[in-house]
Amino acid sequence: MPRTQELNLNMGPQHPSTHGVFRCVITPDGETVTRVENHIGYLHRGIEKIAESKTYPQFIPYTDRMDYLCSMVYNQGYVETIEKMLGIEVPERAEYIRVIMAELSRIASHLVMVATMAIDLAGTSNWMYCFREREKILDLFEMTCGSRMTFSYMRIGGVAEDLPEEFIPACRKFINEFPEKMNEVHELLTGNEIFQARTKGIGILPPDMAVAYGVTGPNLRASGVPYDVRKNQPYSIYDRFDFKLPVRFNGDCFDRYLLRFDEMEQSCRIIEQALDSLPEGEIKGKVPKMIKIPPGEIYHQVESSKGALGFFLVSDGSNKPYRLHVRGPSFVNMGVFPELAKGWKIQDVISILASLDPVLGEVDR
Amino acid sequence: MYGEGLIKGLRVTLKHFFGPHLTQYYPEERPILPPRFHGFLAFDPENCIVCGLCQTACPNRVISLKSEKGGEDGKKRILTEYVLDFRYCMFCGLCIEACPKGCLKFTHEFEKATYHPDEISQVMFRKKVEE
Repeated sequence: MPRTQELNLNMGPQHPSTHGVFRCVITPDGETVTRVENHIGYLHRGIEKIAESKTYPQFIPYTDRMDYLCSMVYNQGYVETIEKMLGIEVPERAEYIRVIMAELSRIASHLVMVATMAIDLAGTSNWMYCFREREKILDLFEMTCGSRMTFSYMRIGGVAEDLPEEFIPACRKFINEFPEKMNEVHELLTGNEIFQARTKGIGILPPDMAVAYGVTGPNLRASGVPYDVRKNQPYSIYDRFDFKLPVRFNGDCFDRYLLRFDEMEQSCRIIEQALDSLPEGEIKGKVPKMIKIPPGEIYHQVESSKGALGFFLVSDGSNKPYRLHVRGPSFVNMGVFPELAKGWKIQDVISILASLDPVLGEVDR
Repeated sequence: MYGEGLIKGLRVTLKHFFGPHLTQYYPEERPILPPRFHGFLAFDPENCIVCGLCQTACPNRVISLKSEKGGEDGKKRILTEYVLDFRYCMFCGLCIEACPKGCLKFTHEFEKATYHPDEISQVMFRKKVEE
């Protein structure tokens, strides 16, 4: 006797819209998704364990390889954790350079989010225009630290190299041209009726659920919760800059998408202020040759482009960490995905996943 | 009007369709690299004092070097072999920062793809055996 059965549908691990090797098992009822199950770990490299066998400076290149889209912030978070524990003073100029680099990295990361969201919803030209802008940021990075993706630019006590002469005019040129280029994206994608139909009112994340799942970053702020580590627990020199905390209240895919643009605008403002008040001087503080941290533990948070990034470091007094735990924002944000995707159509799952903007290198670590 | 956004978007793409090319035609057109570009490493054996700091700074144990006692009084260490295993190199530049004599530096060379993994590791210096 024929009867209807539940169907398990695999999305991924090799699916173009999962931004890496993420797999989820969808149980659809017709077109409607009734259950989603996350399967992660395809990119697991054991970075936290690797940290235990490396000395403190040796681990800096590995922090790049977690979130490869926003790696300057990961560098910054890691070196600041160690500086906080050792009580190292970082020179003013190095702090300013770090902030400029971190904000440029944030813009680059949000551009990738906008680009991938467009291409997931079949907007190919927009992908090209966003990557054209990102390319300019990568050129800025390349002229400063020599690499285009995995920078390992920050050092304990400062930065690796000073800004080259041509950096400041090139950066100013980029910041001045940026709003106009983003208008192009708005004309092309944001106003597009098909794009709006696929994102407006889809995948609504209520603020209480977002807080309960520990969602941070732009995804939380799009649900109307004004929380940002840069504002709430200012680290580095973020308390000196005048910038707003963009918040949107619908919590749907469209708001999460638009909030990235608001953030990029604020990042541009921070870079402008930092370039104006960039002091002269040293770029590296006094650091002992052999870095040994006295026994103890510390937790330090920074705001990455995906949310609050925390490093928990336990030291046993040797030159290697006893344990290093990373609180990855993408990993925590992924937790809400099954809950969020439930009850929507299969094609909405794609736009929900794209709007959450996970980076699988960091989810799996 | 429904569809207005679509037409606006088409206008943007049309403008770019007749605009200049932004991409590089790579093998024919060579990229302009900044002075600090992280390409493959170059090693200068003349100034090396065999301190081994580059070896200890490297996160992945890419660098291996061998030395022998020699010189006028027989106490000076002389480099005999310096091999870089580029399979594991992350191009982070920690070895370059560690070198007190400035023997290592990045070059602008980046086209070093090989067919076999064994071909990647590079002997930067090897002392000639005198017969």
